[in-house]
Amino acid sequence: MIRRYMLPMLALAGFGFGVYTVIAGQREVPVSKPIAQPAKAPFENFVAGSGLIEASSENIMVGAVVPGVVMEVLVTVGSRVHQGDPLFKLDDRQLQGELAVKQTALKVAREQLTRMKSLPRPEDIPAAEARVREAEASLADMKNQLQMRQSVTDKRAISEQELRQAGFAVDAGEAKLGEAKSQLALLKAGAWKADVAVSEAQVASAEAQMAAVQTEIDRLVVRAPIDGEVLQVKIRAGEYAQVGPLSTPLMLLGNVDTLHIRVDVDENDAWRVQSGKSAVAFARGNRDIQTALEFVRFEPYVVPKKSLTGDSGERVDTRVLQVVYRFTRGELPLYVGQQMDVFIDALPLKIDTESTVARKGA
Amino acid sequence: MNFVAIKMLMGDRAKYLGIVTGLTFASLLITQQAAIFVGVMQRTYGLITDIGQPDIWVMDPRVQYVDDPKPVNTTELYRVRGIPGVEWAVPMFRNMIRARLRTGAFQQCLVVGIDDATLVGGPAQMTEGRLADLRRNEGVIINVAGATTRLATPGPDGKSVPLRVGDSLEINDHRAIVVGLCETTRTFQSQPVVYTTFSRAMSFAPFERKLMNYVLVKAQPGVDQLELCRRIREHTDLSAYTRDEFKWISMVYYLKYTGIPLNFGIAVVLGFIVGAAIAGQTFHNFTQDNLRYFGALKAMGATTGMLLRMILLQSLTVGAIGYGLGVGAASVIGALAKDTELSFFMPWQLLLISAGTVLLICMFAATISMVKVIRLEPAIVFKS
Repeated sequence: MIRRYMLPMLALAGFGFGVYTVIAGQREVPVSKPIAQPAKAPFENFVAGSGLIEASSENIMVGAVVPGVVMEVLVTVGSRVHQGDPLFKLDDRQLQGELAVKQTALKVAREQLTRMKSLPRPEDIPAAEARVREAEASLADMKNQLQMRQSVTDKRAISEQELRQAGFAVDAGEAKLGEAKSQLALLKAGAWKADVAVSEAQVASAEAQMAAVQTEIDRLVVRAPIDGEVLQVKIRAGEYAQVGPLSTPLMLLGNVDTLHIRVDVDENDAWRVQSGKSAVAFARGNRDIQTALEFVRFEPYVVPKKSLTGDSGERVDTRVLQVVYRFTRGELPLYVGQQMDVFIDALPLKIDTESTVARKGA
Repeated sequence: MNFVAIKMLMGDRAKYLGIVTGLTFASLLITQQAAIFVGVMQRTYGLITDIGQPDIWVMDPRVQYVDDPKPVNTTELYRVRGIPGVEWAVPMFRNMIRARLRTGAFQQCLVVGIDDATLVGGPAQMTEGRLADLRRNEGVIINVAGATTRLATPGPDGKSVPLRVGDSLEINDHRAIVVGLCETTRTFQSQPVVYTTFSRAMSFAPFERKLMNYVLVKAQPGVDQLELCRRIREHTDLSAYTRDEFKWISMVYYLKYTGIPLNFGIAVVLGFIVGAAIAGQTFHNFTQDNLRYFGALKAMGATTGMLLRMILLQSLTVGAIGYGLGVGAASVIGALAKDTELSFFMPWQLLLISAGTVLLICMFAATISMVKVIRLEPAIVFKS
């Protein structure tokens, strides 16, 4: 009996197992849950783009005026600075030395001018006056001798030549007195105007040279061009600051009171974006962090898109229209340089009307 | 009468077993080969099966099947996002990249880069670690099958040590840290699957101008998916398929351009022929041997129709037993091969097809026997 039914029973069991295999195999592959929900557009018709947050002043890559080694960095990341505040100082020792030289030169020029102006030297005058008095005395002596000789009436007692000699001696004495007097006058008159003018010019020149060195020194101090916040500091004391456009700017500065967001829109969709239309930005990784955007402007020049991979070989794909929007950060955890998913209220796509969406309940 | 027929069938044990064996093997061969074929075909779209969230796959129009990714511009992602009816769209990277193991050996891996922010398209069944760990620096998630086989390295005692969480490997000269292990549907080429974020996958990838392979799209609730596909195609010049369409396209590619269906088809046909030959031959012999009894029955007044019904019952009985045993044996093979590389999948349609085939063999065997019985003279009882 058992034998007879063994095969049919086995067959039944086999079929049963087959059915079980089928049922077991039907189980659906489980669907993975995303760790964050992707951003969803709040508009009927919209254009999507990736946005990059930047300061409302755009991000200012502060550069040095002249190249040199940095002596001191006066701000830290996050410092709020006012226009004109010093940011960092370059090595100025050589120029300080030069400044000392120029200061000395100025002093020399000034002293020369002072000396020029303080002429005549009082100690010189008594000597010159003495020389005048001496010439006067000498002249009086000459005159006396001449008189004495003229008063001799006997022509034999005195020769004609002697008489004349005495006359010439008086003339010479007068001339000497005149010379001594004029020298006294010259001395008393002090410095010549033209000489003073030259000295004054020399002082002015020395002053100008010093000011030039001072300006050079001032140029070694890099100052904030606007009121804003220091976003990035990539230069430290002791490092060499280069001039010219750098791949990593020395310092990044920007006004972050209101933030701007620069949205890349594919050139194929550019025609759909209109100025003044609203937009919404979502933080990546959490679509609950969102902010309404206010239109600022179009960038009039369409640029090649950079895929922001961070790779050294930046890849250029297509060209994108950049649209700039504005938002206030408030309490939102959004930062300059962050990427966001942006949806812009836009013109509808041109899709033939026959195939318009059959949307339930809409 | 039916009882007599069964008695007659089981009475001749050798022939009974012979017929059942023939039918069992036919049924086993057909079911098992077809199940493996279906399993292999299912693997051709393993990646699509695993990614259940998106409804629509958008790709380059020249993509022929899922393992043949052609890169597109990353800006296409935003164009797709801007199409009405799209709830969301995320990028996906999928490519073969060479990994270097600790031992210095190289292994091609299937690197899947999923959206950084949402990790849509990630593995559903994590065996170790969490999907969110992908956010960690240099993190990758590897499928268990890959970690224990091709990416395993020989340890100091010569045994192979599987790749574990925390281990590092080199993907195209970039360091990667295993932060999790996952279970995935096997793919056709069975390469280890390395999940990572989209941006990290791009840095792993060899230099190429375009690096995005797929855009995964979720349709808004209530939007007709086929219509949305059409709209995406029209607006972006890319191809867009629903999940099922893309699965079908991938499978059809393999059916069309590989010898796989032919191979399995030959095996199935052989099973059919062998089964038909053995069962038909033995059943015919069995009827031949029992002609005397049929003659006696006829002589006792049984009509030809009655006799034919008996034969039909006999053949259906052996058919049912053979079918049951064959299907059972095939299922057992499938169950045993569950954790191996063998692909085995039995849809319910396969049970019907197998049953139909066995029925066909039985009918064939019964028909050739029936001819004998119809021509039977009752006098045969008295012969010899």
